[in-house]
Amino acid sequence: MSEKDKDIDSEFCHIPMGDGTYRDSDQKDKITRMIILGPGCSVSSKELLNFLHMLELPINIRLTCYGANLNGYPDLVMEAVEKARELDPNHIFIKFRGFPPGDPRRCRAKRGGAREGFHQIEAEYKLLPDVSVALENPRHVDLNPPKKVELDEFIDIVNEYDKNKK
Amino acid sequence: MKVAIFPPNSMILADMIVRSGHEPLVVQKQMQKKVTSPDLDAPPFNMTENDPIDGLKYAAIEVPSGVRGRMSLFGPIIEEAEAAIIMYEAPYGFGCVGCARSSELTVFSLRRKDIPVLELDYPTSRDDTIEMVHKINTFLDMLKDKESDSDD
Repeated sequence: MSEKDKDIDSEFCHIPMGDGTYRDSDQKDKITRMIILGPGCSVSSKELLNFLHMLELPINIRLTCYGANLNGYPDLVMEAVEKARELDPNHIFIKFRGFPPGDPRRCRAKRGGAREGFHQIEAEYKLLPDVSVALENPRHVDLNPPKKVELDEFIDIVNEYDKNKK
Repeated sequence: MKVAIFPPNSMILADMIVRSGHEPLVVQKQMQKKVTSPDLDAPPFNMTENDPIDGLKYAAIEVPSGVRGRMSLFGPIIEEAEAAIIMYEAPYGFGCVGCARSSELTVFSLRRKDIPVLELDYPTSRDDTIEMVHKINTFLDMLKDKESDSDD
């Protein structure tokens, strides 16, 4: 490997695509977050997209059926995520994502079929209406498991029950 | 505080941790390091020859390389965890034997660490889900109190 190639490797992310080709990526310091609109959300994914565009941040925004994918430098993405969450805090959820949007190794446009993570979103989506209800009505609960009934106490309860039955 | 979650890719758990001001340790972050670094040799196969070697820290040499490879992903999560939320019987946590054994080993390693752990069952009804969210919020608030106490 020449000195020039080494510089390219250290500066960019030189990703092999598995078919002999390479893709120079600028993803090294970037992060990806998925904004997922829960059932009953007051904004649609199109409205969310418009809102994100209006922020005028230099990030990559991708409209999806469940919300949007954001990709860019961490501080900018997190700013957009926080502002988007404020639209409807109890119905908008954020998920982490490892692969950048449209990555040919995972994008369904290249592979066919849903991306693996989509099945997991699908499974958790069923719980989101109840999670939103719980978030709207926050409450503190006791985390200690209930104590077990002592054997003597249990015998007394059974005896009392039998006595009442007779 | 850095909170490990299990299943390590759960959206609900990670989202609630972010809401409460903590940092979730999720497997996507580990994946991101792998797929955006030039170390990967032959995508879409995500394992490199060093992964089973890294996994030796958590599993013996007799353990299949698939489990050790997965443990190289979960390992940094276990190392960094200052608290953990474990959800049992999550349907999307189901997988092949390699996945199942890696999951068991991860949960075992998290429980063996001397950190606060909240153990939950995957909710199957509306009431269970609401109870689960309240339990997680209580646990996270408790962590926050503990953190502020230690800062003082």
